[in-house]
Amino acid sequence: MLKRFRLEEPESVKDASDFLARHGESARVYAGGTELLLVMKEGLIQYERLINIKNIAGLDEVKLDDGVIHLGALATHCKLASSTLLQERLPAFVRMEKNVANIRVREVGTLGGNLSFAEPHADPGTVLMVLGAKLVAGKSSSRREIPVEKFFVDAYETCLEADEILTGIRVPLLPSHSAVAYLKFGYLERPSVGVALFLAVDGGGKSIADARIAVGCVGPAPKRIEEAENLLKGKGFEEASRLISKAGEIAGHASQAISDLHGSQDYKEHIVQVLLKRAFHQAYGQCQPGGKGQGGLHG
Amino acid sequence: MRFEKEIEILNSKEKVWAFLWDVDRFITCVPGCKEAKTVEAGKSYTAMMVEKVGPFRVEFPMGIEVLESQAMSHIKARASGSDSRVGSRLKVEIDVRMKEEGKKTHLSLGVTVDILGKLATLGHSIIKRKADLVMEEFAQAIKNRLEGVS
Repeated sequence: MLKRFRLEEPESVKDASDFLARHGESARVYAGGTELLLVMKEGLIQYERLINIKNIAGLDEVKLDDGVIHLGALATHCKLASSTLLQERLPAFVRMEKNVANIRVREVGTLGGNLSFAEPHADPGTVLMVLGAKLVAGKSSSRREIPVEKFFVDAYETCLEADEILTGIRVPLLPSHSAVAYLKFGYLERPSVGVALFLAVDGGGKSIADARIAVGCVGPAPKRIEEAENLLKGKGFEEASRLISKAGEIAGHASQAISDLHGSQDYKEHIVQVLLKRAFHQAYGQCQPGGKGQGGLHG
Repeated sequence: MRFEKEIEILNSKEKVWAFLWDVDRFITCVPGCKEAKTVEAGKSYTAMMVEKVGPFRVEFPMGIEVLESQAMSHIKARASGSDSRVGSRLKVEIDVRMKEEGKKTHLSLGVTVDILGKLATLGHSIIKRKADLVMEEFAQAIKNRLEGVS
């Protein structure tokens, strides 16, 4: 049963931020509400005020802005999944969005809400991490950009200040001969393991020019694993293929996996290794000339 | 959920044992523990456990019962309480064993934590991680307190 609360409806980020500053922990930003209202209905958390930011104009835009893809924080998962711009420029992100939760959540749930709630078993943060995205946070008098790696502090905790609101996500265009793969596994309602990989190959497609690896869902927050990335960078395909199991092992150990109802720590670490190997072959194939590359053919 | 922790303290068994029974000093080592009171010395205590995970805050008024105690050797206790606001119940069983090794005292902690009710829907992994952190902080705090005094 949802307890009574007051719904504030600011029309600007400044007004919303002022509400948050004035009411402190008794208020919370309300966007799609797919996570927030569930825990409020369960009685696990109560707020005197919800700050409905859905009336703030322009916060749901998806556009190409000065060579960077801008995703408005209020864009719903459905809107992102059906965006022509994203289908062309970030197909791996679109595939991930098409598989977030279920159709009811995708219809009303927003990307900004998903990231701000910081539920550990969520997909978008992991993918945005390998895309090199920056999150835009605004308040009354200022605005700042936060790399995704620094945004998640812990389970259900972000680095947003008490009066800050996530307004958008800026994703750089993928370079030529590059691709992103995101694979997840789970048998419960939420994913148990998510592995994202960004891979760029050199002009001839023979060696790995760049790699970014992130693991999500297994621990308190998605995590970039640079040690595993360094194992692949600069290597030829054959050598990288041999090293990918080792990279997966490193990624698994570094992911801060926790034993829980989704599986034991060892099991999750093993799945990370398996998914990274699959993601590597998928992404490598896509960034080859003639492959269904993302940066390669369309970048 | 079962947790085990080994703590090596550079202090005598007598000092460590005395510390474990000094409620006011002991609770300063337990993260989230407030307002501990002695109901019957050596047998029964009360305490308030307050914890926060992100925006979720819980308050469990706990009743603590000492089930077994053998001087300078071991203590077994059970604590339980409910947070009616979030409709959840917390049950904790603690087994503490002590052994002296030269100038050090070795503490072995075995803790079983059960969380029932709506709080469990928050996610087993998050609760387990929080409990892991609490155990880690407790171990460090008790070491600091007992190694800082002679």
